[in-house]
Amino acid sequence: MERRDLHRLAVPLAVVGGIVALAAAAPLLPLADPVHIEVSARLTPPSEGHWLGQDEYGRDVLSRAIWGARASLAVSFLAAAIAGIAGTALGLLGGYFRGVVEILTVRSAEAVLCFPPLLLALLVVTLLGPGAGTLIVALSILYAPSYARVAYAETLAARNLDYVVAQEALGARSGRILLRTVLPNVAPPLLVQFSLTVASAMVLESGLSFLGLGVVPPEPSWGLMIRGARSTMDQAPWLLLWPCLALTGTIVALNMLCDALRDVLDPRGRTVSANPFRAFVSGLLPATEPAPAPPALLRVDGLHLAIGHGPGALPAVRDVSLAVAPGETLAVVGESGSGKTLTGLAILGLLPPVVRVTGGRILYTGRDGTTVDLARLGEPALRRLRGDELSMVFQDPSASLNPVHRVGDQVAETIRAHRDLSAAEARRRAVALLDRVGLPDAARRARAYPHELSGGQRQRAVIAAAIANGPRLLIADEPTTALDVTIQAQILELMAGLKAQAGGMGLIFVTHNLAVVSEIADRVVVMYVGEVVEEGPVAEVFGSPRHPYTAALVASVPEGDDDRLSAIPGVVPPLHDLPAGCRFAPRCGLAEPACTAGAPALESLGGGRSTRCRRWREVA
Amino acid sequence: MLGYAVRRSVVALGLVWVVATLVFLVIHLIPGDPAELLLSQGGFAPDPAAVAELRTQLGLDRPLPVQYGSYIGGLLHGDLGHSLLDEHPVAEEIALRLPRTLELIAAAALLAVVFGLPLGTLAALRAGGPADRALSVLAGVSMSVPVFVVGTLVVLVFAQKLRWVSAGGFTPFSRDPLEHLALLAMPAATIALGLAAVVFRMTRSSILEVLGRDYVRTAMAKGVAPLRIVVHHVIRNALIPVVTVLALHLGTLLGGTVLVEYVFNWPGLSGYLVNAVEARDYPEVMGIVLVISVLFVLLNLAVDLLYALLDPRVRHA
Repeated sequence: MERRDLHRLAVPLAVVGGIVALAAAAPLLPLADPVHIEVSARLTPPSEGHWLGQDEYGRDVLSRAIWGARASLAVSFLAAAIAGIAGTALGLLGGYFRGVVEILTVRSAEAVLCFPPLLLALLVVTLLGPGAGTLIVALSILYAPSYARVAYAETLAARNLDYVVAQEALGARSGRILLRTVLPNVAPPLLVQFSLTVASAMVLESGLSFLGLGVVPPEPSWGLMIRGARSTMDQAPWLLLWPCLALTGTIVALNMLCDALRDVLDPRGRTVSANPFRAFVSGLLPATEPAPAPPALLRVDGLHLAIGHGPGALPAVRDVSLAVAPGETLAVVGESGSGKTLTGLAILGLLPPVVRVTGGRILYTGRDGTTVDLARLGEPALRRLRGDELSMVFQDPSASLNPVHRVGDQVAETIRAHRDLSAAEARRRAVALLDRVGLPDAARRARAYPHELSGGQRQRAVIAAAIANGPRLLIADEPTTALDVTIQAQILELMAGLKAQAGGMGLIFVTHNLAVVSEIADRVVVMYVGEVVEEGPVAEVFGSPRHPYTAALVASVPEGDDDRLSAIPGVVPPLHDLPAGCRFAPRCGLAEPACTAGAPALESLGGGRSTRCRRWREVA
Repeated sequence: MLGYAVRRSVVALGLVWVVATLVFLVIHLIPGDPAELLLSQGGFAPDPAAVAELRTQLGLDRPLPVQYGSYIGGLLHGDLGHSLLDEHPVAEEIALRLPRTLELIAAAALLAVVFGLPLGTLAALRAGGPADRALSVLAGVSMSVPVFVVGTLVVLVFAQKLRWVSAGGFTPFSRDPLEHLALLAMPAATIALGLAAVVFRMTRSSILEVLGRDYVRTAMAKGVAPLRIVVHHVIRNALIPVVTVLALHLGTLLGGTVLVEYVFNWPGLSGYLVNAVEARDYPEVMGIVLVISVLFVLLNLAVDLLYALLDPRVRHA
């Protein structure tokens, strides 16, 4: 557990601990007798002998508040503990034996959930009569099913773990393995469940006592104190204050403890989800600078991107330059973490909020002939370009489509975002587009929901939305990675065909698949840990690489019946620990001392080729 | 969609039968004779003759299957039995009081959604900002204060001190609509406070999650306007878990209005139930528990159907 976690837990834990300690120490404290009646001192305001005053029977309020905590806490903790043990046992048994046992344990426990909780508690009170014991029974019955569910789910999950299955196949008794596997797994969720149960048991206990169906007078309990104070509310309103404060405060502290526990024990819930929308609404960068030498379509000049802020910021993309001409296909190749996707997102201004442009320009010449720097363009202007002149197709088509809207509507949405059309006309065009991207029976498919299409069909729909307005530049970020091999070929064919039809459309194809590159691209940019290491026409770069990394990548592609595959030795260095000098030197067979001394610059070799290697002449 | 609705309805009908049977079994199978329990209040051993007479009167001396048969038969005719104390038909009293309780819950749910949903959306869109922090703390506290504490304090402040409204009670809508609504406001707002906090938290976390989804980025890549993205792409997807949680809480409220009705003297089903529990009037308790549980099951059915309406994927599950 990290220090930050302990920090989060400290405050609520201290408050809850303090309350529990105070309640536990009640018999040792010099308190007045909580049930001693002194009718003459009825409703006396706070005095020296009675710090919080006296109630409607002249009993000491402070003493009753502390003794009342004992009753409330004892009932809730005991009930939570009994429910926890019984429920967990039921869940383990049901999950382990399945079949009839499962019906007898988990399913029958779940029948309890058919009843609203307070109602069930009242039913138990009817049968057993009011009292603390009844409360414990009622609350245990109420909360056991939740524990049973958690334990049951975890047991089932553990049963399917490979090594448990393997042990069972070997004939070993898996009961012990299961216990050893399951208990550690269920402990964190059960701990959260426990604190939740205590808090909610406390609310129910005080509620029932308030109704006069819980703790039996004259025993003190916070619910009873509120009940009593309510009857004398017009004469002594302050009496209402103390038990209300004590009860609410304790529950707030318990709930805070739950939240903190959940955050600490379940790290998945803690990560603030990457929220591109905030950057989207607030991303106004400084005004446009005059652009030198406008590109025909797009030129990225010395782009720097950083993840995070301040000294800890990671330089994810450094000095990346690339250009796409109208009608050209540029492939951007690299392993995961090479910065190729971030570069693509930066062009559309869709970087996640933690990533910032720290340098460089993204010059784009639009349909109207003016050149803008996309890295400094305001969000409204960017939005007018996105989906119209600039488009993007993402990796996973099933995640890219909104599950609750029809496919045709999602294509039509792109059109209507930029063209003033009637809904019917946009829908008609969407069908035509779906037909154009090769979706069979497009009119019918347009009315389908994404889950009703296959992966390949979904990607076709995503592409249809991307080309809906005839973009000048299409960025495709690994559009085939999530698809089957046979579908991949079809999608590539489609994209090549669309480009041929569209004439002037430029295409940036981001991928890690070299075979795809040679099929579709005119030129290629090879990236390694955030830098461009080599660039040039595809045939030349792959035919005679001028950077050892490109050479290694090419060598790692299996070719024909030559099934020898050379993997690149070593690992990609992490961004926070980049090697000085050439980033590839630690994995490079050609590295010499000079390579690690200074970072090599991108060197132009003529003929549109460049490399970031000092020893490019020696690369085979 | 229709097939899905039919399938879910059949399951719900089965659950109603299970609930009815459970209520019957709880009363009849647990140790202790209801007749003896009923007569033994005050710690005195009851007179065996009186117990036997009561058993006959309640039909407890008949074999269990026969009792079960007449119980289910009665249910099918809308007969929930008669009060032990005054012979009043239970079904009649429930029919009178149930609408009042449902009205209270509906008003509270309306208030909770009207406040919780927009504030939760706002907090998510401004996540980490001062408004989000303030609202989240407020929601955390509102959720923690027990309803009867809120209710009692509301009565103390608005009825006793400020004298804006009377401390509670009920006027039929037909007699005086304005006074009816004025009396409804306090208990409804009391329930709504905690419920709005639940809706707020759920909306906030759900919207934050959806904002991080790929299809939101796709929508941005299409150049769709921010407001349309929020309304069209985010909220509808984010609503799915919110609807579920809200409905679950409404279900708990079916029994949970007991405290609020008690505090505000609202003559709903709950007050009837508390009296029945205190008097150990079995037919009354069984009838009320049964009706509320059946409503609970029906509510869950409604949620399932609503869920299918919101999320096309569910219809095929």
